[in-house]
Amino acid sequence: MSEARTFKVKSSLAKQLFEPGGRLVRDAERLAGEALDTHRDEAMAMIAATLDELEAVCAEAAEGAGKRVYALGAKVIDLAAFFDTGPLHDAAWSLCEVSDRMINAGIWHWPSIQVHLQAMRLILASGCRTGRTSQTLLDGLRKISQRP
Amino acid sequence: MARSSVLLVDHNQKSLDMLSSIFQGFGVKEQIKRMTTEDAIKVVDERDLDLILIDSSMPDMDGYEFTRWLRRDTPAPVRYTPVIMLVGHAAQSKVQNSRDCGASFVVTKPLTPNVLLQRILWLGSDERQFVEADTYVGPDRRVRNFGPPLGVPGRRSGDLSEHVGAASEANMEQSAIDMMMKPMKVQL
Repeated sequence: MSEARTFKVKSSLAKQLFEPGGRLVRDAERLAGEALDTHRDEAMAMIAATLDELEAVCAEAAEGAGKRVYALGAKVIDLAAFFDTGPLHDAAWSLCEVSDRMINAGIWHWPSIQVHLQAMRLILASGCRTGRTSQTLLDGLRKISQRP
Repeated sequence: MARSSVLLVDHNQKSLDMLSSIFQGFGVKEQIKRMTTEDAIKVVDERDLDLILIDSSMPDMDGYEFTRWLRRDTPAPVRYTPVIMLVGHAAQSKVQNSRDCGASFVVTKPLTPNVLLQRILWLGSDERQFVEADTYVGPDRRVRNFGPPLGVPGRRSGDLSEHVGAASEANMEQSAIDMMMKPMKVQL
């Protein structure tokens, strides 16, 4: 194996960030937050539609649907991740974790998926608020994802 | 970032739009949006870019493979372009790819404007060296340059020492240490 070569690189980004002018950090953050907020309603509607899709996949319970379930969970994460959706994001992450583990192990357990779906529906319906209910739901999902 | 050109790559149209809104707020000069890595490769081949953001879970060629391609198969200075990898859930099979692909920063979602801006600013003052080896091409993955322990192969000349030398002064009294840790009022 050849030797590793290490050297310094100054990126154009580094030069630009420290040039005078441009927006202040606090203004950039505020404007970005405002621009992002205009997408919130549509993103939440898309998450609800994704859960409908997941419900249809669960109802069909087709063999080999694991990758589809994982992809739908990942889609919820992608959309929820831009907003303060704490428990919903965590539940979707747990769904991906459980389905990824089952795919790798070559086993599949639909009730584990359905529990995640119901938890995400309840969390979404309560405005993704963090509270005792969401905590109880997430504790339940954690028990599923930690099951050997 | 008023002079920066940023390439945003995400297969989910809505996520791409939201990412784009964030960068609009940051005031970047130019943002180029692409929904496939194939199209992103064309952009890299044709344009000068200051930053690339790519979602890890792209279909066909994923974000890890794209970054590997960028770091290994493009000429300098294109190959040094900072890459921020956006990760939702890292599937078990992809964890090693994430470590080895050569991304400048792996950002796990949730993704707020604050988190993203802090990571970009961090990259702006990134002092890490660039590494080119058979098994890895990209920024040094070690943020602290302690390197492997003394006597273990793989240390580099620039690594900081973890070795604690012999004491050069007499040990302090316990009472003196106590006073340093917990100063108390005394009655004189």
